[in-house]
Amino acid sequence: MLEDSGFEDVTIGPPVDTFGGAIGEAKARSFEVFGYAFIAHRT
Amino acid sequence: MSNETLVDVDMLRTQVRDKYRDVANHPHGTHHFHTGRPLATRLGYDQSVVDALPDRAVESFAGVGNPFSMRRLELGERVVDVGAGAGFDSFIAATQVGRTGRVIGIDMTPEMLTKSRATAGQLQFDHVEFREGLAETMPVEDGWADVVISNGVINLCADKQAVFAEIRRVLRPDGVLQFADIANGRPVPIEAMRDVDLWTG
Repeated sequence: MLEDSGFEDVTIGPPVDTFGGAIGEAKARSFEVFGYAFIAHRT
Repeated sequence: MSNETLVDVDMLRTQVRDKYRDVANHPHGTHHFHTGRPLATRLGYDQSVVDALPDRAVESFAGVGNPFSMRRLELGERVVDVGAGAGFDSFIAATQVGRTGRVIGIDMTPEMLTKSRATAGQLQFDHVEFREGLAETMPVEDGWADVVISNGVINLCADKQAVFAEIRRVLRPDGVLQFADIANGRPVPIEAMRDVDLWTG
């Protein structure tokens, strides 16, 4: 989607266990939800 | 991330605003996500920088990653923070760009804006300002920003393509978008994606 929106050189960082130990952990685990850092440049 | 609008935009926006009003007013209350200093530590923020910020700047932090983990901002850069909340990432950005840079935090929740503006005053960060607005229609002029940051906000917007188009509008050519957000490794059923309650909880 980023490249379709006019960005390039998209890089994605490693997953972070954002919800581990939180109330929402079970729901996050069920869909393998993690946090990620993204970086991209505007064309 | 899907580019299809699956839920009622206004209903989702109201629900998100209600959720983050609660995070602003009751940062230590019961939320389905981590908040505050423990979350900042979990996400790998520079502890010494976080320690230097007052509680009001940190307690309502509810990000999902670290938008500074792959690139430190440079002195003098102009930064827009999309969905700034109580200003945590905006204040980190302000520290990195220094007083020759500028930071504009955008948020739609009045209670968050009250907190972020009070903290900016307390810190005497006159190179940071907070404006009320939406991610899809930010009150920032075309091409103003060198960098756009965001943290855990775009996933809460119904029309992500509209958000990215708006981010592109405020960035100068070759400007940098560095943000953090969630992504799922398993597909979410379409009926769940149409359930507004699941977007915020």
